[in-house]
Amino acid sequence: MNFNLSEEQQLVADSVQRFVQDNYALEARQAIVGGADDFSQAHWSTMAELGWLGLTIAEADGGFGGNQLDTMVIMEQFGKGLVLEPFFASIVLGARAVSLGGTPELRAAILPAVMDGSAQLALAYAEQQARFDLHDTTTRASQNDSGFVLNGHKSMVQHGGSADYLVVSARTSGAQTETQGISLFLLDTKSAGLEVSSFLTVDGLTAAEVTLDNVQVPATHLLGELDQGFEILEQVAIDGILAVSAEAVGAMEMLYKDTVAYTQEREQFDHALSDFQVLQHRMVDMFMEYEQAKSLLYRATLEVVQQGVEAKRTVHALKHFIGKTGIMIGENAVQLHGGMGVTEELRIGHYFKRLLVIDAQFGNSDYHLEQFAA
Amino acid sequence: MEIDLSPADLAFRQEVRTFLTENAHRPNEDYMKWRMNWFKLAREKGGWDVPKWPTAFGGPGWTPTQHYIWEQETAVHNIPWDLPFGLGMLAPVLMNYGSKEQQDRFLPDIRDRKVNWCQGYSEPGAGSDLANLKTKAELSADGTHYVVNGTKIWTTLAHIADWIFCLTRTSDAGKKQQGITFLLFPMKQPGVEVKPIITLGGAHSVNMVHFTDVKVPVENRVGEENKGWTYAKGLLQHERTGLAGISRSLVALEKLKEQASSVTRGNGTLMDEPAFRAKVAELEVDLMAVEFTELRSLASAAAGGDPGPESSILKLKGTEIQQRIAKLTVEAGGIYSAAWGAKTPGYAFARGGMSSYLSSRAYTIYGGASEVQKDVVAKNVLGIKKS
Repeated sequence: MNFNLSEEQQLVADSVQRFVQDNYALEARQAIVGGADDFSQAHWSTMAELGWLGLTIAEADGGFGGNQLDTMVIMEQFGKGLVLEPFFASIVLGARAVSLGGTPELRAAILPAVMDGSAQLALAYAEQQARFDLHDTTTRASQNDSGFVLNGHKSMVQHGGSADYLVVSARTSGAQTETQGISLFLLDTKSAGLEVSSFLTVDGLTAAEVTLDNVQVPATHLLGELDQGFEILEQVAIDGILAVSAEAVGAMEMLYKDTVAYTQEREQFDHALSDFQVLQHRMVDMFMEYEQAKSLLYRATLEVVQQGVEAKRTVHALKHFIGKTGIMIGENAVQLHGGMGVTEELRIGHYFKRLLVIDAQFGNSDYHLEQFAA
Repeated sequence: MEIDLSPADLAFRQEVRTFLTENAHRPNEDYMKWRMNWFKLAREKGGWDVPKWPTAFGGPGWTPTQHYIWEQETAVHNIPWDLPFGLGMLAPVLMNYGSKEQQDRFLPDIRDRKVNWCQGYSEPGAGSDLANLKTKAELSADGTHYVVNGTKIWTTLAHIADWIFCLTRTSDAGKKQQGITFLLFPMKQPGVEVKPIITLGGAHSVNMVHFTDVKVPVENRVGEENKGWTYAKGLLQHERTGLAGISRSLVALEKLKEQASSVTRGNGTLMDEPAFRAKVAELEVDLMAVEFTELRSLASAAAGGDPGPESSILKLKGTEIQQRIAKLTVEAGGIYSAAWGAKTPGYAFARGGMSSYLSSRAYTIYGGASEVQKDVVAKNVLGIKKS
């Protein structure tokens, strides 16, 4: 048994950590949030140059052939800086879907540009009526002579506004909530009839609503088999859950450590706040929950990498725990910071907001507990 | 024991309902005009514009039960917005400790909603430990005025306030609670600088306020020099009981159920999901209990007694319940709770849900953090002595 990172993974972790320390102080981050772009193009280029964008792409497709553990290493560090660049949307979700379902020709046409950062992907799966069910899909694709025509609406597409291509789930047969009959397509965002409207989310990232009005897609842009897209979508979602959970664990670590530091500096009633036992115990609880979250993250990620039979169930356990714990640690970090905790001026509030958003991504805490117990 | 309202109380409730219904804001009606007229009509009812003021100052002189009825009814009916600082916080201090001149000068404008007040209490080094405040007020050599220097923080609506009531330090001798003086002065004058603090909900309602050599005439001092803590303490107690918000929570919980019923999943709604249902039900049970805790407290006050130990838990429980309702609203909004701003997708209720939840995190911090409140209960109610 060994829970240490490999030498290569440690090198990546160190390099991402340095990047975050150098570029993601709160003020620098907030300057990007308020700016014209959704993220920093310069940072995005740096990530491409350092090879992070190709780390998990198969060697046959020109990448480094890494797996979910490599993603975990990057995302945990990103969580500590609340990084804004679309690594998650474009690489973890988008590139994964193309890798799993794209033909060799399509992969060769798309993935090199994704790895060098010149093309960006996003995953458009959510629909309002579905709540968190990936298989509840009303967006339709019908076959014609030139391929497929898509109609419908996709919601809350993370980084959809800056994407060049969208991976879209659409129903090609079956009833609204069947897993059978869903197909995945790669859509050029410049396609006629495709409307993307982007807006800021509470965590400083962006999301978009996507309307599809008779959007024509060539048959070569079908990902995977016709009607069999759900399997790919589910695998991509599992990778997505592992990645946001790693990000959350990074954010939780910062929250509990910042709180421990602050309560030792801040004095009230002629004592450091950390002198009060009720606050000490609260911080111990935060620390314990963080460590437990990290354990489940390792457990789920390793099981997925090794394709264990219980892997899916463990992923449900993880996402349930991350949602619950992230909010518990966030609420307590704010409470123990007092008035300062509820301002935009300290970074803890920003970690808290990101954790709130992560809870709802790919199903919230309640949803995954239900799936776990099912 | 008796749970029902008396016939007189029932008649009063009907009278309140009729008034609130007949004078409700109508669509397209000019809001500010309606607001001012509403207060005028409420005044004509016999002091309904200042429900909590004593009869000597024009209030209605209601019994605790009548206050409770008023609070319940105004939580479900739409009444004009009001700010608590002048009306609910400063006015009682002036009535108890202010001079006749101060009462005549300030109370009418407060009642007419003409002058907006803000509260200068917390400081960067004095939060839960409020008595640690350092803003200095020095009496001039000729004894005609104080010169105020220092910084206040979390000053709600300081940026729109005309006046401030402010705790200042006039002496360092003795205990921290001694040496505090209660001053009143205008905000719009040289030496007063207001800097916004943006809170997690994205709103600007609190501020940092700096005072540099602000001159305050001695006639604007309430009561005696160095006795301000005594005056402020009663006010803090008032602030704390007012923060429980139980009637509002009852309304908010009903709204939450409606909202959750509009969130679909498969053939059902969120209200059909056992985990969510259970959380709503637990909230409802807690609210039922705290509602009666409040009534017990009111009943003992009505009988002329002290509010009783049960009143000490109202702010703690009430704010916790408000936070839980806000949290469930965010959960109900699902992925849409992350959307920020007016032109966002999803359920209409999800649009403001996140910022309400984030704001609600302050409820267990301001007016005495919950941890400090529990220390007070341990000491004063349970009688636990520190060794």
